Amino acid sequence: MKYAYYPGCSAKGSSKDYEMSTQAVCRQLDMVLEEIPGWNCCGSTPAHAVDTELSAALCARNLDIAARQGAQLLLTPCPSCLSNLRAAAQRMEKPTFRQRVNELLDEPAAETFPEVISVMQAIAREKENLVKRVRLSLKGVRLAAYYGCLMSRPAERMRFEDPENPLLMENLLAACGAEMVDFPLKTACCGAAFGIPERAMTARNSGRILELAVRLGVDAIVTACPLCQMNLDLRQTQAGRAFETRFHMPVIYYTQALGLALGFTQRELGLHKLAVSAEGLLNKLDGLRRAPAAEGGQS
Amino acid sequence: MSVLDGKELRIVGFLCNWCSYGGADTAGVARATQPTDLRIIRVPCSGRVDPLFVLKALFNGADGVLVSGCHPRDCHYAAGNFYARRRLEILKRFLPVLGIDERRFAYTWVSAAEGQRWQHVVTAFTRQIHELGPAPRLEDAEPLLKVADMALTALRPLGSGQSAALDELKAAIRSKLPELDCVIGWQQGRDAAHHVPLFMRKPEDVDKLVWGPFNVNNPAVYLPSFKGKKVGVVVKGCDARSVVELLQENLIRREDVTIFSMPCEGTLDMGRVDQALGRYTAIDQVAYDEAGVTITADGRAQRFCMADWAQGKCYGCATPSAVLTDESFGASAPVEAKATTPPELAMLDAMSLEERRAFWRGQMERCLRCYACRNACPLCVCRDYCVSDSRDPHWMTQEDTVKEKLFFQTIHALHLAGRCTGCGECQRACPVGIPILALRQQISRAVGELFNGYAAGMNPQDVPPLLGYAVVEENIQEQDWK
Amino acid sequence: MRIGVFVCHCGSNIGGTVDCARVAALARDFPDVAYATDPMYTCAEPGQAAIEEAIHEYRLDGVVVASCSPRMHEPTFRRTVERAGLNRYMFEMANIREHVSWIGKDKEANTNKAAELVRLAVEKLRHNLPLAASQFDVNKRVLVIGGGVAGIQAALDCAEGGIPVVLVEREATIGGKMAKLDKTFPTVDCSACILGPKMVDVAQHPKITLYACAEVEEISGYVGNFTVKIRKRATYVDWSKCTGCGACTEKCPAKKTPDAFNEHTGTTTAINIAFPQAIPKKAVINAQYCRQLTKGKCGVCAKVCPTGAINYAMQEEIVSENVGAIVAATGYDLMDWRVYQEYGGGVYPDVITSLQYERLLSASGPTGGHVLRPSDGKEPQTVVFVQCVGSRDRSIGRPYCSGFCCMYTAKQAILTKDHIPGAQTFVFYMDIRAPGKMYDEFVRRASEEYGTEYIRGRVSQIYPDGQGRLVVKGADTLLGEQVEIKADLVVLAVGIEASKGAVNLAEKLRISYDNHGFFMESHVKLRPVETNTAGVFLAGVCQGAKDIPASVAQGSAAAAKVLTLFARDKLESDPQIAQVDIRRCVACGKCLRCCPFGAIKETEFRGETKAQVIATVCQGCGLCTSTCPQGAIQLQHATDNQILAEVNALCQC
Repeated sequence: MKYAYYPGCSAKGSSKDYEMSTQAVCRQLDMVLEEIPGWNCCGSTPAHAVDTELSAALCARNLDIAARQGAQLLLTPCPSCLSNLRAAAQRMEKPTFRQRVNELLDEPAAETFPEVISVMQAIAREKENLVKRVRLSLKGVRLAAYYGCLMSRPAERMRFEDPENPLLMENLLAACGAEMVDFPLKTACCGAAFGIPERAMTARNSGRILELAVRLGVDAIVTACPLCQMNLDLRQTQAGRAFETRFHMPVIYYTQALGLALGFTQRELGLHKLAVSAEGLLNKLDGLRRAPAAEGGQS
Repeated sequence: MSVLDGKELRIVGFLCNWCSYGGADTAGVARATQPTDLRIIRVPCSGRVDPLFVLKALFNGADGVLVSGCHPRDCHYAAGNFYARRRLEILKRFLPVLGIDERRFAYTWVSAAEGQRWQHVVTAFTRQIHELGPAPRLEDAEPLLKVADMALTALRPLGSGQSAALDELKAAIRSKLPELDCVIGWQQGRDAAHHVPLFMRKPEDVDKLVWGPFNVNNPAVYLPSFKGKKVGVVVKGCDARSVVELLQENLIRREDVTIFSMPCEGTLDMGRVDQALGRYTAIDQVAYDEAGVTITADGRAQRFCMADWAQGKCYGCATPSAVLTDESFGASAPVEAKATTPPELAMLDAMSLEERRAFWRGQMERCLRCYACRNACPLCVCRDYCVSDSRDPHWMTQEDTVKEKLFFQTIHALHLAGRCTGCGECQRACPVGIPILALRQQISRAVGELFNGYAAGMNPQDVPPLLGYAVVEENIQEQDWK
Repeated sequence: MRIGVFVCHCGSNIGGTVDCARVAALARDFPDVAYATDPMYTCAEPGQAAIEEAIHEYRLDGVVVASCSPRMHEPTFRRTVERAGLNRYMFEMANIREHVSWIGKDKEANTNKAAELVRLAVEKLRHNLPLAASQFDVNKRVLVIGGGVAGIQAALDCAEGGIPVVLVEREATIGGKMAKLDKTFPTVDCSACILGPKMVDVAQHPKITLYACAEVEEISGYVGNFTVKIRKRATYVDWSKCTGCGACTEKCPAKKTPDAFNEHTGTTTAINIAFPQAIPKKAVINAQYCRQLTKGKCGVCAKVCPTGAINYAMQEEIVSENVGAIVAATGYDLMDWRVYQEYGGGVYPDVITSLQYERLLSASGPTGGHVLRPSDGKEPQTVVFVQCVGSRDRSIGRPYCSGFCCMYTAKQAILTKDHIPGAQTFVFYMDIRAPGKMYDEFVRRASEEYGTEYIRGRVSQIYPDGQGRLVVKGADTLLGEQVEIKADLVVLAVGIEASKGAVNLAEKLRISYDNHGFFMESHVKLRPVETNTAGVFLAGVCQGAKDIPASVAQGSAAAAKVLTLFARDKLESDPQIAQVDIRRCVACGKCLRCCPFGAIKETEFRGETKAQVIATVCQGCGLCTSTCPQGAIQLQHATDNQILAEVNALCQC
């Protein structure tokens, strides 16, 4: 099935591994992601903090491109892009706002925009397919699903599961055999875009999440947001210093976890790009799979 | 006493005592300035407002009418405004077919605490009426006489019905006759080209039963007068819906009625047929073929093919077979149900408001106030107590004016709202051929739009929409006061 | 007719922008007007006396007063004309103050409008008829629905007033929520100790008939003459034989039966008596958990019962009672707080509701009054109370305050220290609502004497720390900081909602309810225990959040209303009701179907069916009148002709 796809800036740069694993998983599920042509940055945090109309215009341009492609749905992997695109679409329902934004665009934007959802929600629609294609079960692996603060809130805008306790990632990964722990900080903020201006706060917030994961004894934190992954993985040492410890907690994208279950290699999924090595997790997986009883093994 | 010429227009308000009148008081206490045009009539509940009060005002010089009640769910009498909402929305959708701009009527909800809202409502509505200007009067329009275009395609093939199983039907009636007081059908009238109702009481009477495109009368109109007796009735598709409607309203009892039916292939528009036949001394012969009938009068033969000469209602008919029957004979061709606009209504749709006023002015001048339309209607059970000729209550005068005559039509149409099955007898019975069915069809269309395609006379368990209410109405939007 | 018109100046309120003298002058030329004048203050004593004099002097048979809103002074002036010998309905008002003089300053337009409104009133009056109230019998018995403290108080007051009472209670015991409480604020009285005697009084009062384990099935009739059908559920125990000895509960093997009385903090036996002071003190079998009733194997209780009261074959029963008035006192339930996923959504055993905590505190509860954590049965050392869980929260559609949680949280904090002297308690609050007598002082005691830490802020998340305790994360808005507390037990002050099934009951009673299911009073300020349905009264939380003293007060208030209603032998009906013209009615039944109050019935007249209005039930809305195609049924004082007279006065071309 074909989908219009908005990768977002991180996908082409700092979270290339997210993009690689997303593409791999979708390919395996016969989901064809067609990047919309000539897309621009959604504005992320800076734009909407400075000027809501400009921010909406940035997103409206992308939505307009997708609309003109005839798309009914637009997928994006990044929760921040998702939030901005959906916010812009909602604000554009008001005629006066739409008029002002249209003045900022080359041409007035299309009257109806496609609905924007996360890649995760689209994969969830292919759950049956996913289960059929699991080649290497994740049974025996303990994971904590971490959504980050943006994916499910504000509830009326994102319409993504229960805002305080979403379970979509858990469902997908459990369907591949993984043991998903109850992770109370699943929607707690990691520090988001304050990694540079408010280093101490980000270290504290991220550290708290990592600390709980360690305490719960999980093999990895599974995340769906490029910035969360960065704060928890790239800045794990900083977070550790704030808590006077070393966490050694791998933080991988949920698409990388799904990809492992679907049988892709480390390199194909970009796991070699992790700052905190996922070797522990991968070794455990190998060990489980070679077990003679074949319980956690091939299906 | 009159409005200040040039400054004010005649705006009448019906306000419910508990909420809206209180809201107007609150606005007054807050000294909220408002235009002076509005004259308020206090009623206990918005449910007390008969849509005919609004029409009476609009017909008699009001430039605008406003009804205001408690917000739905807050009615002091629990459900009054739920009924009001339905009835007044139907009224709003009825006004345009009469040639009245529906913006001259508004209904809204204002609570006793909402003084500021009341000020806004009055100001906005008064401004709207001033923008529309003084209401044009029906009597001032230049009469416009127009006839509907009857070149239509029917939903199913129309025919002369001669292949119907008439003998089987007669046998069935004969066998049931001993248990029944009477079976109503049709027989030849003054000649073979005109049929009239038949009341079969003895086996010999059954011999006279006929079937075909001349069976225009709706036998259901006689049923309420047989209440308490066992009666049989032969029905076409449209007649059966009248029977069902009577059952819905407990005007007859199911166990007292035996329904005989055959699939109908259409009836002739006798008004046009008689006009084509002209004056004649005798009908020599009536010969049927599958698609029509050839009438030879005074030696001159004329063929009337059903596809061109059927009544307007037959083209859009989706129920040629009775929806409710005890004994039926024969099956009808399948009908592809499609939304169709009846020809007379289509003609009015295409007119401007001014043209419609002119049209009804012209038509009502021809009306004789014979009340044939009322008497032919199967659902008009008020009979001797019709408000049109009563002094208590005194809704109308006996004056022979277009205004009074059109007002009578609105009374009939609104009393039938949600109940009229479109059998068309009112129009057929009119001796001067006024297309009054269109008024009822417009209301039926509005009922269908508002209540998820509701059609009267389909199911004896249904409740006519205006005799019920919903707490939340999917299709009725609240008035937006910009 | 000879109509008198009085155009009031109301000082300068009207006279300032309306030429009252001119209006009166114009009125003199209206049809049937015999006298017109413009007094300064019509409602004052001299003004009213002047009207009475004019009626006598000019032989008036109808009066129009043009002044303020009829909602203000119609009753006043009706009494005035009645004193002068006229029927009170031969009177009309024109509102030329709120609707004219106060909303604009254009004197010409206002005077013209005022004159038109007077003309309107005169036309209506010309079509008015004198109306007389009729009288009817009243059955001096009362039904009280709900045996909580409000219902108990209403029942006792009515019974003491000599009125036989039928009290219907849905649960197996009366006492409502108050019976579940350990202690009550602000006196820290033992709840069962103060309620118990009242409950016993109810059981023993000769004038009170108590149906427990019963619900109201159907209500028909009207004020003074209601017929009520009550469904008595099968208890499988013959209460005429059961002595409440409890031998059955000791021997019952089905010990995992859900314990609703104890708010599911523990389990009970399939046959049980709710709590030691239950009234009626009779056993009830929970059919879904009884082994005999579900599997046919057991019968132990029947064997040990000394009076042979067990009856496995018992069926439910419908009984009928006739009463003249009804008091609804159905109380409340706690809302389903599990929508708060951030508090665990009900998954964490040590996060409990306030009512559950009461059962832990109570000596008759499953822990014998020891406060123990549900997870491991250990005593908690740190207890956190979270207020406003489901109250004042628009995001879940519950914007209202539940009224008593601030007080009971303070009480529970105090009691916690009593039970566990070394415990530390915290309360997260938004505001503290302590308006009653000694209430604010009580809350202060909790913090000043009992060391409860009050933190002004909401809790954003509660989650297990992985070591058996709970982390409570919230805000301290006074300090402007985030706080995290490690708690052993978290008690949520869960918001209330109308009792389950309240809306259903409201429809049977034909009373209104608001968005949240609370019953609607006649006037929120001035008539809090009456409804707009004659003969039906309200008491307690079913009308809106309130504490025990207010519920008791409303119980007595409702009883006072009932006693007032029954003070006379006959009731008078408001004559502004619908009336059927028998000749015109064709029995089409449309009015009957549309009446919101069921005030129209079918009757036989000379062998024909006709509609008839039940005078005492008709509320005077006029829906029937606008429905009837013949105009056979007419709302008196707002008939078609009367309203048409007003329309015709305005629209005359």
